[in-house]
Amino acid sequence: MSSIAIGLIGIVVLIAVFLLGMPIGFAMAFVGFIGFSYLVSLPAGLSIIARDVFYNFSSYSLTVIPMFVFMGSIAFASGMSRRLYDAGYLLLGRLRGGLAMATVAGCAGFAAMCGSTNATAAAMGRVSLPEMKRYDYADSLATGCVAAAGSLGILIPPSTIFIIYGIMTEQSIGKLFVAGVFPGLLLAGLFTLVVALLCWRNPSLAPIGEVTSWNEKLSGLVGISEMLVLFIFVIGGLFLGWFSPTQAGGAGAAGALLIGLARRQLTWQGLLIAVKDALRISCMVMVIVTGAIIFGHFMAVTKIPLVLADWVVGLPLPTAAIMGVIVLIYLLGGCFMDALALITLTIPIFYPVVLALGFDPIWFGVIIVLVTEMGVITPPVGVNVYVIKGIAKDVPLETIFKGVLPFLGALLVAVGILMAFPQIATFLPDLATP
Amino acid sequence: MDRLEKFVNSLSNWLNWVAGAGLIAMLALIVADIIGAKLFKWPIPGGIEIVGFLGVVVTAFAVAYTQVVRGHIEVEFLVARLPQRARKAIASFVYPLGMVLFALLAWRSYDFGRALQVSGEVSMTQGIPFYPFIYGIAFCSISVFLVLLVQYLKILTRAAKK
Repeated sequence: MSSIAIGLIGIVVLIAVFLLGMPIGFAMAFVGFIGFSYLVSLPAGLSIIARDVFYNFSSYSLTVIPMFVFMGSIAFASGMSRRLYDAGYLLLGRLRGGLAMATVAGCAGFAAMCGSTNATAAAMGRVSLPEMKRYDYADSLATGCVAAAGSLGILIPPSTIFIIYGIMTEQSIGKLFVAGVFPGLLLAGLFTLVVALLCWRNPSLAPIGEVTSWNEKLSGLVGISEMLVLFIFVIGGLFLGWFSPTQAGGAGAAGALLIGLARRQLTWQGLLIAVKDALRISCMVMVIVTGAIIFGHFMAVTKIPLVLADWVVGLPLPTAAIMGVIVLIYLLGGCFMDALALITLTIPIFYPVVLALGFDPIWFGVIIVLVTEMGVITPPVGVNVYVIKGIAKDVPLETIFKGVLPFLGALLVAVGILMAFPQIATFLPDLATP
Repeated sequence: MDRLEKFVNSLSNWLNWVAGAGLIAMLALIVADIIGAKLFKWPIPGGIEIVGFLGVVVTAFAVAYTQVVRGHIEVEFLVARLPQRARKAIASFVYPLGMVLFALLAWRSYDFGRALQVSGEVSMTQGIPFYPFIYGIAFCSISVFLVLLVQYLKILTRAAKK
């Protein structure tokens, strides 16, 4: 049997083992090990598992993961989500659907402290859902907007998906982070527009809120100013090359810690919970990345990525159509697979294709993140929807999925806009390379 | 069985706090390195190396506890819809597979660590030996193996009771 056939069997077996419920990091490591051993030799396979695990766990460039994850969990433990939401409410609360808009704004703000979609959805959901319930918002709008806007967590930097993408493709994490800023703001704007349109079409979805004075609005903004400063310091410092990605994550975590302590909102208990949360999330991510690296060694010896890239480039199709197909594959994959698993599994396979077609790797990273965001809110494996279901226990799952639909439309529009105007993503990173 | 579960859970919990100490140490070291390098032009010697070694502590020592709290992402939607008997059959396939993986990893890491210990390999700047960290991975792999064993036995006994 050819090595390509073995590789394809390996991919099918891997997906089967995923579906049987084996933790995805373990599954990739195991199938990768078996496939590599079969194609090369058993001693070689046995040797790479121990080496890959040690070299990945001890890799300085991967320590960026625990640091940025820690930053997000400290931000949550010290109640930053509450202050961001309050600021959004003071600014937008008096509009029809203003609380939902404030939720989107709060998610965008929290995404600037936190790099994961489900953490952002959970943090903002716990704050905003009870408020929207109190003001009699329709369940579909309330849960749908927070599940969807939570996905901003991976587009607005920091972002675990950009970190993983950057490490796997050897692209600058700093550039990827800043590339996400404008698309993130664009998407937050589109989400807000969706809320406005929904409320305009059906005013019973959400009432008009109370008027707030300019003084109150200003005090809300002052309440979040230190987070803005921290964001600019961390992401700007990384972009300008003051910090390595790990240092930027460390500075972010330390800054969030200082803010929490100075505001007397971070308790000892809260810090312990933040440490435990950060360990659990970063360990989960690291195990998946390590599994993906082992699986990637297997894929490399099958030569599938190279052959696929050659084949796709030779297709008599316009490059835009091929990109459309790739996006479609991610979209379908995202429905059934966790975002991280999908990215770590497919990047080694598709990245050479994207390069061969001449696309900008930074731009492609942003597109991948946008498509992944759809995956976290589409059934049956929409992680964010389940997170919100965990908070709003009385709302049926179908209502949340229904509520998410209009926001899914906004995500599709965002992908379209970025395909047509890649500069929205590449403009900032291009500033660094004259 | 209960005693085994208690032992494994407290072992994982204890290892997790070692990882937690590693995380705090990593943050402190990175901050000290930034302050030293930017303000005093004196970065911590071998800072990058030590952060890397702490990375092993932060990840490897947390794997078992993360499995205890089911923190490793798995695709659940299909298995959750199946009847109890089918789930038990699938568990009898998936759990032993995971156990084999971590048994292999423990064995290979022990061998790898042993080889580096004998050859006396150390890090470039600070001369820190690699092998204790690799032995650490081996030990943590055994604890993940035990966590998976306990979870598997629990699924079997739960199914038997019903």
